[in-house]
Amino acid sequence: MDDRQKYIRNFCIIAHIDHGKSTLADRLLEYTGTVATRDLQEQLLDSMDLERERGITIKLTPTRMKYTYEGQEYILNLIDTPGHVDFSYEVSRSLAACEGAILIVDAGQGVEAQTLANVHLALDNHLEILPVINKIDLPSAEPEKVKHEIEDVIGIPAMHAPCISAKEGTNIKSVLDAIIKEFPAPRGVLEAPLKCLVFDSYYDNFKGAICLVRVFDGSVKVGDKIKFMQTNNTFEVTEVGYFTPKAKPCDVLLAGEVGYIAASIKKVSEAKVGDTITNADNPTKEPLAGYKQIQPVVFSGIFPVDGSKYGELKDALEKLKLNDSSLEYQPETSVALGFGFRCGFLGLLHMEVIQERLEREFNLDIITTAPGVNYHVYKTDGEMLEVSNPSNLPDSTLIDHMEEPYVNLRIFTPPEYMGAIMDLCVDRRGENTGMQYLDEKRVRLDYSIPLNEIIYDFFDSLKSRTRGYASLDYELSEYKPSKLVKLDILLKGEVCDALSMIVHSDKAYTRGKAMVEKLKEVIPRQMFEVPIQAAVGGKIIARETVKAFRKDVLAKCYGGDVTRKRKLLEKQKEGKKKMRNIGSVEVPSDAFISILKID
Amino acid sequence: MVKENNLALYIHVPFCVSKCSYCNFCSFVPKAEQFTKYLNALKHEIQSRAKDLQNKQIFSIYIGGGTPSILPKNAIIDLIETIKANFDVLKDASITIEANPNTFSLEKAQEYKQAGCTRLSLGLQSHKPELLKLLNRAHTYQDFESAVLNAKKCGINDINADILLGVPTQTKQDIIDTLNLLIEQPLTHISAYGLINEEGTPLTKAIQAGELDLPSEESAVEMYDLTVDFLKKHGFYRYEISNFAKKGFESIHNLNYWNRGEYLGLGLNAYSFVDRAHWRNTENFNDYINNPLLALDYEKETEKTAKEETIMLALRTEKGLNINEYNTKFKTDFLKDFSDALKRLEKNKLIKFDKGNLKIVNFSISNAIILEFFKNL
Repeated sequence: MDDRQKYIRNFCIIAHIDHGKSTLADRLLEYTGTVATRDLQEQLLDSMDLERERGITIKLTPTRMKYTYEGQEYILNLIDTPGHVDFSYEVSRSLAACEGAILIVDAGQGVEAQTLANVHLALDNHLEILPVINKIDLPSAEPEKVKHEIEDVIGIPAMHAPCISAKEGTNIKSVLDAIIKEFPAPRGVLEAPLKCLVFDSYYDNFKGAICLVRVFDGSVKVGDKIKFMQTNNTFEVTEVGYFTPKAKPCDVLLAGEVGYIAASIKKVSEAKVGDTITNADNPTKEPLAGYKQIQPVVFSGIFPVDGSKYGELKDALEKLKLNDSSLEYQPETSVALGFGFRCGFLGLLHMEVIQERLEREFNLDIITTAPGVNYHVYKTDGEMLEVSNPSNLPDSTLIDHMEEPYVNLRIFTPPEYMGAIMDLCVDRRGENTGMQYLDEKRVRLDYSIPLNEIIYDFFDSLKSRTRGYASLDYELSEYKPSKLVKLDILLKGEVCDALSMIVHSDKAYTRGKAMVEKLKEVIPRQMFEVPIQAAVGGKIIARETVKAFRKDVLAKCYGGDVTRKRKLLEKQKEGKKKMRNIGSVEVPSDAFISILKID
Repeated sequence: MVKENNLALYIHVPFCVSKCSYCNFCSFVPKAEQFTKYLNALKHEIQSRAKDLQNKQIFSIYIGGGTPSILPKNAIIDLIETIKANFDVLKDASITIEANPNTFSLEKAQEYKQAGCTRLSLGLQSHKPELLKLLNRAHTYQDFESAVLNAKKCGINDINADILLGVPTQTKQDIIDTLNLLIEQPLTHISAYGLINEEGTPLTKAIQAGELDLPSEESAVEMYDLTVDFLKKHGFYRYEISNFAKKGFESIHNLNYWNRGEYLGLGLNAYSFVDRAHWRNTENFNDYINNPLLALDYEKETEKTAKEETIMLALRTEKGLNINEYNTKFKTDFLKDFSDALKRLEKNKLIKFDKGNLKIVNFSISNAIILEFFKNL
C-alpha cells in the first residue's frame, strides 16, 4: 500500500431525520476552510431547492476537504447521505464508497427508529462507526444519558463520542480529529487494474452523464478507455475531478480517492449506478459487489394534465431517472387520463419528490393516481400475477386468492402515546409483534402491518397523534394472504379507471363512502346531474350526486359587441383545459390528488 | 339568410338623464355643449365612412344608447337626413329608435315619425316603483303607458319594451304583474334580459357589500321559464334567448347580428363588422370628437373566429344553426367535426336537430353548450 492513502479518509454522516446531519456537514466544510464562511449557504450540500425547503437530503454530493492533524495534511472525502427512510437504498450506496460513518444522535431525543436502521446498514457494509452527540446547546440535552442509550440500544461504544453543537459550531475539531483517529485509511492497490464504484450519477447538458465514483484500485485519467462491467459499454474519459463542493477537474484519480468521471456518456442507462468501472485495455477480473437491486414498493400513475405533453413527461422522467436510478416507470394507458406512465417509487416521500420535481424543474402539470402496492394475485388456473395497477386486476371469478406485502414496522415513542399508536396500528390492520422499554421515557413498538396501510398518510397520522415525538422505520417482510377487493368509482354510470383502487374488503365501504363524498366536493356542477358511485364487484356501496347547474350568465350580445363575447368564451375554454373528460363528465385534475388526502 | 351588400347601421347616443344602477354601457349625463360637438362629429363620421361603402344598401338603422330621446329638438331628423344623404338607404328600411318612457313626449313621437322611424324601443324594465327606484330609473309605469300612446297616435306601430329579470328583491309575482300589464299594451316585441352583474356598477357594489341579494339560480331560471310560458300564451314567441315577438315582428336589426350580417357602428364606442373584420370606436368622448374615425381593436376574421361566431350566434336563436349552410360556407362536415360534442350533448338532451337545424333545448345553460363546440375549434 502506498503511503499516500494513509492520509485519506472516506466517510459519510448518518442520522435520523432532523438530528443535524446537513448542519454538521456545513460546519466541517467551514472549519476546514473548504468553503469560506461568507459563501456558506445554509445546508450547502443540499443543492436542490426541494431539499433545502423540506430539510431533507435526496441527492448525494461528495466533497473533498483538507485537514491538518498533528502536522500532517489529510484529505477527507465526505459523502452526504439522504436521511429519509424512503432513501435507505441511497444511503447504502454512499456507505459502499466509505470506510467510516459518523452517526449523529440528537442529545435531546436520543436514539430514534432511523438511527437504528442506518446503523444496521453501516454495519452491513463493515464500516467503522463514530457516534457524535449533537445539539448539546439545547436545554433538553442529556449527552451522558444518550451515550448510555447508544451503548445499550445499538451496542457500540459511545463513552468517548464527541459532544458538539453543529448549529453553534462547538467542538467541531473533536469530530475532525476523531475522523482521522477512528476511521481506517483506504487500502487500494494503485498498481492493480482500475476498479471503481459508481455510487451516483447526474446529467450535465455539456458533459453528458457524470459518474460519481470511489476508486478502489488503480487510477484513471483523461484519455483512458474505461469499461462499465455490467453493461460492457466502453468510453473515453474526457474529464476527471473532485468536488470542493464545486466540480474541480484534476489530472488523475488514484486508488482510495473519491471524485467524478465524465466520458461523453449520452445515455443515463449507460452509466448505471452500482456498476464497476475498469480500464478497457487492462480490465480487473472481478467487479465490485455493487448493490442489491432495490425494488420500488409504491406505485402510481402519472399523466400529463394536457394530453399533448406526453412526450415532455417522458423526457422529464428519463432525465430524472438519470439521477435517480430507483425511479421506475413504464407507459400506461388509462381510459380516463389517456397516455401516461405507471411509476414505481421507494416510498411516498420519494413519490412526492418526483412529482414536485416534474412540476418545478420541468414545468409540467401532472395528474397522479392513488398510490398502491404490488399485489400477488393467484388465479384459479394456478398462475400468479403481480398487479400494481388496479385496472390490471383479473375478473374476481378468475381469482383464487390474493396476497399483499407486509412490513416490519418499528416505532420509537414516549410511553404516554402508546395507546394512541396502538389504536392507529390496529385501525391499519397492524399486528403487534413486540414491545420493549428502552428506558422509562421511551418504548419501542414492533408491528407487522400491510404496506398499503402505511403509504397514504400513516406518517402524518403518527406525528399528529404523538405531537411529533414518535419516529418510525420499516422494512419489507413478506407477502401474506389478504381479503382484497377492487373498489371502483363510477361517474355518471361509467367506471373511471384512474380512480379504482385495491382495498381490504373490511375497508371498502368506508373508503368508498369517503371517496364519493370528497369527489362531490371537487367535481363542479355540470350541464347535467352527475351521480358518483362507489362499487365493489358491480355492487354499488355508496352514492352521491352533483346537481346540474341551472343557468349560466345569459350575456347579451348587444349592439354588435360579438368579439367580447367570443373572447369570453375562449377564455372559459382555456380554463377547461385543466379538466379531464371522463365519459361526459368534466373532472378537474385536482380531483385525483384530493382523493389521496382522505383520512 | 343575409343578403349580399346589405348593411345595417347602428348609431350610438351616449347620453342619459341619469345613470341606471346596473348599467355599464357607454353612457353618461351630458353637459349642454356636448350635444352639438357630438352631433357634428357623428355627421363627420357618417360622411367619411359612407364614401367607402357606396356599394352597400342600408336595410336597417338602429339608434340606440344611452337615451337618444334626450337629444335636442330636430336632432334625429337631421341625423337620419344625413344618413340618407350619404348612404343608399332602402325605401322599406327599418328604422328603430330607443327611448326612455319619460322623455318620449307626443312632440318627440311626431318628430321621429317625420324623421322616418318605423319602430320604437322603450326601456321599461319593471312596472314596480320599488324596483325602478332600485335600478335608478327616472320614470314610472304611467310614463311608459303615455309613451306607447304617443307613439301609436303618430303612427309608430312597431313597439318593443325591454324588461329585466332577476333583479334583487324581484319576485316571480312582480314579473307576472309586469307581463300582465304589458300584454294589455299594443306591443309587437318584448326583450326580457336577465340581469347581469357588471363589474363596477353601483348595483354590483351593493351586492358585493351584502346590501342586496341576487335571486337564487333556481328562481332566476324559474323567472325566465315563466316569462317564456306567459308570453307564448299571449302570442309572443321566443326567437332568441332574450327576445320575444309577435309573428312577423322580429327585430331584423338583431337578427342581422345573429346571422353575422354586416353592420356599421357609428358614434362613441360603437361596434362594427364590415368586410369580415370587427372593430370598435373609441369610448373616450374627447378622442372621438377629435377623430371620429379612430377605429380600435381591428380584427380580421379567421376561419376559426368565423366558425366560433357562427356557432355562438346561431345557437342563440330559436331557429338554430343550419348545418347545410355551415357546411357550404366552411367547406366542411359539421357533424363529423363535432361528433363527440354532439353525441355527448344529445345523449344528455341538451340539443336537438330539427329540419336540418341544430338547436339548444335549454337556453339557460347556452354558454356551457356553446363552449362544448368551442372546445373542438
